[in-house]
Parts: sequence; C-alpha cells; structure tokens
Amino acid sequence: MIRQRRDRVSALVLAAPLLIFLSTLVVWPIYLGIKTSLSRDLLSEFEITAAGLDNFRAIIAAPDFWSALRFTILFAIVVTVVEGLLGFALALIFDRKFPGKRTLFSMVLIPIMIAPSLMAVMYRLILNENIGVIPGFLQKFGWDISIFDQRYVFFTLVALDAIQYTSFAFLLVYAALQNIPQEIYESAAIDGARYRQVIWRITLPILKPALAIIAMLRLIDSFRTFDTIYILTGGGPGISTQTIGIYIYKTAFITGDFGLASAASVTLVLLLAPLMPKIIKQFRLDIK
Amino acid sequence: MRRNLWASVLAAIFAFFFMLPLLGAVYTSFRTDNAIASGPFVWEFDSGFTHYKNAMGAAGYDFASFFKNSILISTGTVILTTAISLPAAYSIVRLGFGGAWLLRIALSLRILPAVFFIIPFYKLFTNLAIVDSVRGLILANTFVNLTLALLIFSSTIKDLPYEIEEAAHVDGAGVFRTLRSIVFPLMGPGLAAVGVLTFIFSWSDYLFAVVLSSSNATPVTVGAANFVTSYGVRWGDISAAVTLSVLPPLIFATLAQKYLVKGLSSGAIKG
Repeated sequence: MIRQRRDRVSALVLAAPLLIFLSTLVVWPIYLGIKTSLSRDLLSEFEITAAGLDNFRAIIAAPDFWSALRFTILFAIVVTVVEGLLGFALALIFDRKFPGKRTLFSMVLIPIMIAPSLMAVMYRLILNENIGVIPGFLQKFGWDISIFDQRYVFFTLVALDAIQYTSFAFLLVYAALQNIPQEIYESAAIDGARYRQVIWRITLPILKPALAIIAMLRLIDSFRTFDTIYILTGGGPGISTQTIGIYIYKTAFITGDFGLASAASVTLVLLLAPLMPKIIKQFRLDIK
Repeated sequence: MRRNLWASVLAAIFAFFFMLPLLGAVYTSFRTDNAIASGPFVWEFDSGFTHYKNAMGAAGYDFASFFKNSILISTGTVILTTAISLPAAYSIVRLGFGGAWLLRIALSLRILPAVFFIIPFYKLFTNLAIVDSVRGLILANTFVNLTLALLIFSSTIKDLPYEIEEAAHVDGAGVFRTLRSIVFPLMGPGLAAVGVLTFIFSWSDYLFAVVLSSSNATPVTVGAANFVTSYGVRWGDISAAVTLSVLPPLIFATLAQKYLVKGLSSGAIKG
C-alpha cells in the first residue's frame, strides 16, 4: 500500500514537467487565442477592448477568408492524392530487390531532411526566369512559359509540394508494406496470380487501414501549408494561392488585426473539430 | 537481380527529381557570378569557394549568426523535448499516470493547426520578454515536437521487457532509480529517433521563427528566405548559404537514417 502511494507520487513528479508545459504553452495560449478573437485588438491601437462577436461576423463576411479556405482544402486534397499515389508507387518499387537499392533509398529520403522554407528558396533559384535551370531547359524545347502565371501556378505548387512530401508518404507506405508476411505473396505466386492481381486483391486490402491513416496525416499536414507557398508566391498572383495559414499570418502581422486573425483561427479550429475524434480513434492508443 | 534493373531506373528517376533543387543550389554555389549572369548552362566554375566565404561573413551578411541560432535552437529543443516527454511517457505507460487520455490530448495537438498558436505565443512571449530570443524559439519548437516524442517514447517503453524493471523493483530500487539505471540505458533507439526527428523539425521551423524572431534569434530558415528578398541578385551567395543551411540536418539524419525511418513510421502508425 505504502509502496503504491509512493509510486503515485513518483508518477506525478515524472509527469509534472509535461503538465506544466501543457498548461503554460497550450491551455493558456488557447485561452489567450479565444479571448483575442473576442476583442478589438489592433497593432495600431494601444487599447484592447471587448468586441463581442464582431470579429466573427467580420470573418464570416470576409470573402478572402473563404477563398483562402477553399484554396487550402482543394490544395490539401489534390496533394494528398498525388503524393499518396506517387508514394505508393515508389513503395512498390522499393518492395523488391534491385541494384543500388540502399543508396537510392537514402537519396529518396532526402526531402524529409530539408526544411520546406529552404526548399522554397532553392525552388526560386532553379525556377528563376533568367538564371534558373528549369526555365533554361524548357526554353531549349521552345517552351517559353512563366510557371507562376495564374494559369499554371496551382499545378506548379502541387508539383513542388510533391517533390517535398512524397517521401513522407513513401516511407509510411513502405513501412506498412514490410509488415505484410512474405508467405501471402508466395502462396499467391503458387496459385499463379499476376502482379496486378496481387496488388489489387492482396496488397491494397491489407494496407487499407494504414493508407487511411497516412492519407489523413498528409491531409492534416497539407492543411497547414505555409512556408513554401508564402516564400514562393506570397499568396499571389492576387490572392489566388493564399492558404488559410497565410491569410491568418498576414491579417495578424501585416494588416495588424489580431482580433480578426484570431477569429479566423478559432473558426478554422471549429471547422476541423468534428474530424478530431475520428482521427484520434484511428490511432491505437492503448497503453498496455 | 538483372531483371530488376528497371526498378533501379524508376527509383533513380524519383531520386533525381527529389534532389533536383539541392543539386541546383550546389551547382550554382560553385559557379562564378559571371557564369550565373550569362545563363543556366554556362560552364565556368569558381575554385576558391568564394560564395561560401561570402555567405559565412566575408560579404558582411549575418548568415553565420543565423547558423549559430539554428544550432542552438535545434539542440536546445532536442534536450528540452526529451527532458519533458521521456519521464512523462514512463509515467503514463508504466505507472498508469493519466492513462490513454493524456496521449490523446497530445495527439489532438498534432491535429490542431499550428497557425492557431502564432498570435497567443506572440502575446505570451512578449509579456514574458522572450520574443526574439533563442529560449523563446526553443519553447515554441518543443511545443511542435512534443507529441511525436511522447508517441515514440511510449511505444519504445511499451516494447521493453517489463521483467527487468520488476526485478529491480523487487531488489528495492525505487521508480527514479529504475528509470535512471535500467530503463534509460535501454532507450537508445527511442532517444536516437526522437533526437533526429526533433532536430530536423526544429531546424525546419519557419512559421514560429518568422513570428517570434526579428534579428537576435533569427534561424537559417527565415534568414535564407529574407536573403532572397534583400539580395535577390546575388544568387551565388544565396546558393552557398542555402547549401550550408541544409547540411547539418542532412548529415545528422543520414547517419541516423535507421532511427529516422523507425521513428517516423512508429510515431505515425503504431502510436
């Protein structure tokens, strides 16, 4: 009995740093965020006053907020699908033995290790109209197009996002593939199944739960896209590539309206909230 | 093996595209300013590392201090994240503290958009006078990495044989003693995974750095992005600066690749 009580005290002591951290850097900031969303809080005014639901009314009426949200959702879905398919294809390639596999595996993981903002700077370098390798290459084939033009910018951003994040999807699918027992493939081979049949009838059904989690993770993460697009286009041309992250950042730190930006953040969380229990359930969080 | 040569080719095509931006930066960083200005395919290389010397201070940029900040922020975040989440994970898994709900709360943090926190953090850090300080950015990055660290540590602890700890317990070792001399030495793979991932992710942070630093604590990510807007024509120097900025996490993660792979997949799938 005494022993148990001592353990309970030790448990509290060991978890204390986490609890302190969570309360000061999570709970308190959430309170601050909600409070700011209910205040008139401008960088240009010293006084912060209560504003009721004014900011929320303004957000709901703001076309820029909704167009940013629409762009973010569309972008998140498209990149999740593209990166999921490419990652899956790459995982199938790496599921076999081939010459140079180890070196190529390390190379394929490199984008994971590169900061998206640094990647964006490198993109600006290789895509630069005058000195970039890519436009130079395209011009050799007579393609004189500006890839950040309104018409191509969405496609360009998806392609650049795929270069950065396909590796993540690949790695997770690959890890899931390793868990499929080899015997299943062997018996399928004995039964004379073709490769395509094996993929459709065996691999995909087994991987389905893992793929759902991977897609969800990519979807959540692409919802936060900020760095790359901000550095590449600043949300332009116009506001056509403005993500919700860029919208909130600009409203707060460039326009200087903390209240409105906080209302946008709170609205975003409220829109995502219904998804949370579903996502949490997908993870098997048993502590046994 | 020979039949699978096409797999090598396909994988190499993927690898080429994934590495293209980095190859472009390395290529440009070794070209002379003249060559860069005359077009992307003019072959004229500079053997004296001029752009690298410029980037590291010869041309009066602050890049060396950005670099120092990034190292301090990333190392500090690895230490603080580990110090907070390792004992907590042990407490949750082995001592039943809080049960699964604590992990669930941590997981909902993973789902909450980080952008929600930029304004509250800015306000809180201004009040605490830690805006534009390395300490402040260590706290913000610890916030970002805490969930993954908790998930990795708790799954590593779950996989340890409980019998050893029980034996230590029977021999009269207390919780702290057991944690320090039995569990901690067995946590190598978990520590390596958390170390390498936290290092990469805090090195990569841009959102919190752009909001919470203005000059003193600016890391390479924000520094490099500002570099492009302020010195947009000095592509040789920019390329050298970016190449240098990419290297530390790249070297660290390539050496610890096994743990990177394990950590990412266990943190994401097993939970």
